[in-house]
Amino acid sequence: MKKKITFRKIKPYLFLLPIFSLLIIFKYIPFGMAIEKSFFNWNGGNLNEFIGLDNFVEAFHDDIFLESVGRSFIVMIVHVLIVMTVPLLTAELLYAVKSGRAQYIIRTSFTFPMVVPTVVIILLWKWMLNGDTGVINNFLNSVGLSTLAKPWLGSTKTALGSVLAVGFPWLGMVSLGGMPFLLYFGALQSIPSDLFEAARLDGATLRQRIFRIDLPMIASQIKLMVTLAIINSLQIFDTVFILTNGGPGTSTMVPAVYMYEQGFSYRRMGYCSALGTILFLLIMLLTVFNNKFLKNTEAMD
Amino acid sequence: MKKVMSVLGRVLLGFLLFLTLVPFYLLLSNSFKWSQEIVKSPFTLPQEWHFTNYAKAAMQVIHPMLNTLIVTFFVIVIVLVVGTLAAYAFVRFRFAGSTFLYMAIMALLMIPGFVLLIPQFIHITRLNMYNTFAGLIFPPAAASSATAAFLLRTSMEGLSKSLFEAADMEGAGDLTILMKIVVPLSKPTLSTVTIMTGLSAWNNYLWPLVSTTGENTQQIAVALTGLVRSAVEGNGVMFAGYVTASIPLIILFSCASKSFVAGLTQGAVKG
Repeated sequence: MKKKITFRKIKPYLFLLPIFSLLIIFKYIPFGMAIEKSFFNWNGGNLNEFIGLDNFVEAFHDDIFLESVGRSFIVMIVHVLIVMTVPLLTAELLYAVKSGRAQYIIRTSFTFPMVVPTVVIILLWKWMLNGDTGVINNFLNSVGLSTLAKPWLGSTKTALGSVLAVGFPWLGMVSLGGMPFLLYFGALQSIPSDLFEAARLDGATLRQRIFRIDLPMIASQIKLMVTLAIINSLQIFDTVFILTNGGPGTSTMVPAVYMYEQGFSYRRMGYCSALGTILFLLIMLLTVFNNKFLKNTEAMD
Repeated sequence: MKKVMSVLGRVLLGFLLFLTLVPFYLLLSNSFKWSQEIVKSPFTLPQEWHFTNYAKAAMQVIHPMLNTLIVTFFVIVIVLVVGTLAAYAFVRFRFAGSTFLYMAIMALLMIPGFVLLIPQFIHITRLNMYNTFAGLIFPPAAASSATAAFLLRTSMEGLSKSLFEAADMEGAGDLTILMKIVVPLSKPTLSTVTIMTGLSAWNNYLWPLVSTTGENTQQIAVALTGLVRSAVEGNGVMFAGYVTASIPLIILFSCASKSFVAGLTQGAVKG
């Protein structure tokens, strides 16, 4: 009898054992290490000396790093704007299509690029943006606008803009346009139709309908997407790394790529950990700020 | 006026769809061309369909695709098992520290992946998992299992309590209840988790980039960035490789587009 009671007591923990073994070994220990090594001059191997706050002091005097953080705020603003506009417009336009069958077909056509591997989309755009053989310049030349053709990724002036333009109109990029589009469209569909009926009877214009009914009803989805865009934009890596690796010069350098370079090219793993810690704190701060000002309404499903 | 608006709306929608799909048309049509034609006339359909591009690309991408398939499969299995067990514990039992333990899982969702990049890399090396499937599988599985536990807990909480009580009366053990009642009723969420996890495993680029080298365990995303082209075919072989790498997911998507849409949107809750 006594044995049974103890078994009952430990049973819940047995169910949790697998997940915590996984999390402790592969997440918590590395996270602890990331914080600890921020205070070390460390190359991942024999060089491992405690240097206090030196890494942090250096980080705040490291122009490339500071600029990369500044640049990630530009990325953030652009991504937030994207998330709030194109997918919303597309969802509204699709919602206005009356036939359910046509809606389904169009939505599916928009969705299929989302399952193409992100790396494929990035590489495809790398080719399209190419200066000599890229299709964008080829197109500009063929319609007589050759003065506009330029080495998009190769010039410091256009590189960042080109990186941000990848995937335009971004509906095929899952986290940027695809997920918001699907989410907004789903939310529009779930608005009770008598609401629209009442609005129509009251003689509401399209503009009134959009601002008084649609937007308030999908506000929580928009907030969620904005929050995610903010968090994700600070972590942007794949696109920049594959397209420009931070160049030309440091004109597209973003924090994650800079960390990768410091850690793996220069083996400055302690410094890299410190940069990570700073960014982690920054993201935490932004999340708190976000929750305060955007007041998440938790209205997902 | 209203008519004009609605026509304009449709034209704009069509244009957005056109812009979205054009790159994929270019990818597909150019994947059958050779270098000269790609440079000269990228917009037209191929004059001659060079299927050999695909044969050459396959030699480079099939092996990494199989590697990625193995990794994706095991990540999904681990995440489903571990996530379901954890969610069940939180929903079914009252125990000391349950809130704390739940918060400990949720807190992980706040840690951005790249912060852990270096320590995870060193840690994996120390565990002798560098350049192994285990090293490719476990860290991403850990990350996804936190999300899975969250989503599954939310959906299991929606199950009726009387269902559990009835099962208890029958004297069913927890594993029986879990397998016979909870899992079947949680199928929609389980498929959401499967798709989310599967997509991110198939797309993973950064972690394979740092945790593997050479060809034995090479993942598809890394392989695609390093495709070798020859002088004659030029980008043709690369494009054929990109298309080949996209095929498995497109097939899956066509079979289960509804679950895919759910998987893509519910993934948003992650943050």
